[in-house]
Amino acid sequence: MRIKHNSTLLKLALMLVLLAGLAACSGQVVQPTEGEPAASQEEATPAQEGAAVEAPAEDVTLTVWSWRPEDEDAYNEIFDVYEAANPGVTIEFVAYVNTDYNNILATGLTGKGGPDVPQVRSYGGIQPLVEAGQLLPLDGEIDLANFPAAALKSTSGLSDGKVYAVPTGVQAFTAYYNADIFDELGLEEPQTWDEFIAVLDVLKAADYIPISTPAKDVWMLPLVQEAVGATRYGGPAFEADILSGAKDFNDPDYVASIQLVKDLQPYFPDDVNGVSYVDSKTLFLSGMAGIYLGGSFEVGFWRNEGPDMNLGAFPVPPAPDALVDTPLVPGWYDGSFGVNALSEHPEEAKEFVAWMATPEYGQLFTEKIKMMSAIPGMKPTDPLLQEFSDLFAEYPAAYMHLVDFRYGDPWGSNLMADGIAAMLLGNMTAEEVAASVQTGISQWFTPAQ
Amino acid sequence: MGETAKIPVEKSHRKTARGVGRSAPPWPTVAAFLLPAFMLYTIFMIWPLIQAVYFSMYEFKGLSREGFIGLGNFKELFTRYPLNEQLPRAFMHNIAFFIGTMLIQNTFGLLFALLLHGIRKGKRFFQSVYTTPYLISALIVGYLWNLMLNPLFGPINNILKAIGLEALAHPWLGDPATALPTIILVNGWQMLGFPLLLFSAGLAGISDEVREAARIDGASRWQLFTRIELPLLTPVIGVITVLTFIRDFNAFGIVWALGGVGGEPAGSTDVLGLVFYRTAFQGGIDAFGLASALAVLMFIFIFGISTLALGIFRRLEDRLT
Repeated sequence: MRIKHNSTLLKLALMLVLLAGLAACSGQVVQPTEGEPAASQEEATPAQEGAAVEAPAEDVTLTVWSWRPEDEDAYNEIFDVYEAANPGVTIEFVAYVNTDYNNILATGLTGKGGPDVPQVRSYGGIQPLVEAGQLLPLDGEIDLANFPAAALKSTSGLSDGKVYAVPTGVQAFTAYYNADIFDELGLEEPQTWDEFIAVLDVLKAADYIPISTPAKDVWMLPLVQEAVGATRYGGPAFEADILSGAKDFNDPDYVASIQLVKDLQPYFPDDVNGVSYVDSKTLFLSGMAGIYLGGSFEVGFWRNEGPDMNLGAFPVPPAPDALVDTPLVPGWYDGSFGVNALSEHPEEAKEFVAWMATPEYGQLFTEKIKMMSAIPGMKPTDPLLQEFSDLFAEYPAAYMHLVDFRYGDPWGSNLMADGIAAMLLGNMTAEEVAASVQTGISQWFTPAQ
Repeated sequence: MGETAKIPVEKSHRKTARGVGRSAPPWPTVAAFLLPAFMLYTIFMIWPLIQAVYFSMYEFKGLSREGFIGLGNFKELFTRYPLNEQLPRAFMHNIAFFIGTMLIQNTFGLLFALLLHGIRKGKRFFQSVYTTPYLISALIVGYLWNLMLNPLFGPINNILKAIGLEALAHPWLGDPATALPTIILVNGWQMLGFPLLLFSAGLAGISDEVREAARIDGASRWQLFTRIELPLLTPVIGVITVLTFIRDFNAFGIVWALGGVGGEPAGSTDVLGLVFYRTAFQGGIDAFGLASALAVLMFIFIFGISTLALGIFRRLEDRLT
């Protein structure tokens, strides 16, 4: 009957479906070399050519690529200031989707039609571009004196230590609190760990969720561990010991800092492993939670979604037996701009990124982009962001797993994230989480000594 | 007389099943018709496939290809922590995902197909209703179920609490013990329309004369189903099994929407598709080669098993004819 006939058809259909499946998989990996860049180059080139044809010979158009389409207007306003001061220079801002940006940029930098000034990722993210020689080194070329060493580390090549981009933003992570709930319950910003626990107990007794945090979207968990535990393991001193090889992650103080997250679990939402990132923000936004452990990158979200919320921020006080007796606010530098080694206008591009290293740009950046500037001392207009900025200036620490352990696979932050989630479920102990981090990282990380 | 007449009928029947060949057109004509499709197919399917195999044997730094390392990437997949633990775990989850989905979608798909086969009015309507989720993107289905299953705001737990079944309210996607079964249920629910349509077509293709003959011979409804309908649906079951296998071993969207990129909680819903995604897009500097190696392995496995399954079903079908 139709059966025989069916199986040939079936086999053909099977081949098609299978190949489509694999092509979908590998296609994503393969594409950037073939398809995507062509499109992106074409988008970028007409602007340059147009400018070259219409404008007098000395006029220059610099193309800036970014992964922040949402900031396009703000960046254009900032660049208007530069254009006004530098007649003959036009800055063309081109933004791509964040998730595809790395591939688009990697190919954009290999040939003609790439950006003159690309926005580049920090730390591990900039290394492939540095290794491939696609960015011009900037030390000695422009004045970088306004940046702290920690900022320049975020854009330095791992192998040669040279600076390849101008850092622009910085993020910090600590505790937000709902000031209305604190007022209602007569609570104040805690100065000691005991006061911190007392605040959590009062919130819990009043049927508020003391700390809203997600454990379903695990990427927040290493940040939570840093926010509550950096003092316990010793912050920057421990970081230095890890990098030099004097200590490893199995260190009892580091294990204890992970255990702190487990100890705080009674103050997290019930079934915290089912709470997503969005859920945790909603709990705080809707006034169901008193404290939210979050980052400066969320200030804009609270302002947009809860304009009437009365918010404050405080640093989590040093934990019992902490090795550092002041609070620590973990942070990391986020986003920077470099110069394409194949740029047709390298001098103008360098002048432009040199301007990005000035306080004038830093102030514009923090005002317009509404993020903390990598240049210390800039004044954000939002008082909450200002609070984060002050806290980070006073108690600076590094989000170690992002800053130091994203140079190889697996990332330290992913190991921590999965480990802490398992610990909250009761599937792993703090020791096992630390051991997992150590095992994973030691596959690619060799201490300096 | 009756005896002798019977045999030739069967023989001629078998012959027609093979089809009577018409003389084929000359090969240049055939080639001209095939070429455009073949070109497109080669450029967009075969070529990336060959490239993936090629890339899987090289070391990468970002997008730049370094030295040839043979099977180095494959070895890395099974030795690098935590990949070496995630990969077998994800593989087992894929198997559970496939078996669970098959049980749910086929049991209910066949049941509804049988029920719908018997009714005259509203058949099309119900077929459309049951098939709708299948036509919606897995991501949207995942998102909707995510909202419904939300432990804090979701209606499912709220309804359970409202009707006094508070003990049953549960963070379905937050508990490693229930997360994967929940996702399998959602996937089975979404995919229900696919076997339903194929079974309906299969049932409609069974000649009423066969059924009548069975009934006249005194077959009950159950016997009719087990002795006549089910065996005649073997080719359909074969198609569904193989296509579901391919789909479930390439699963990504629904799991990503419900369990996140890491297959949360604690990797209890991790599948090969997610491991591939993380390796390719969140991996280290050598991600390109490593991800290609994983893609190649997945292809070989899925292709191998599918071919095997096809062979088995073909033999089953042969036994029927």
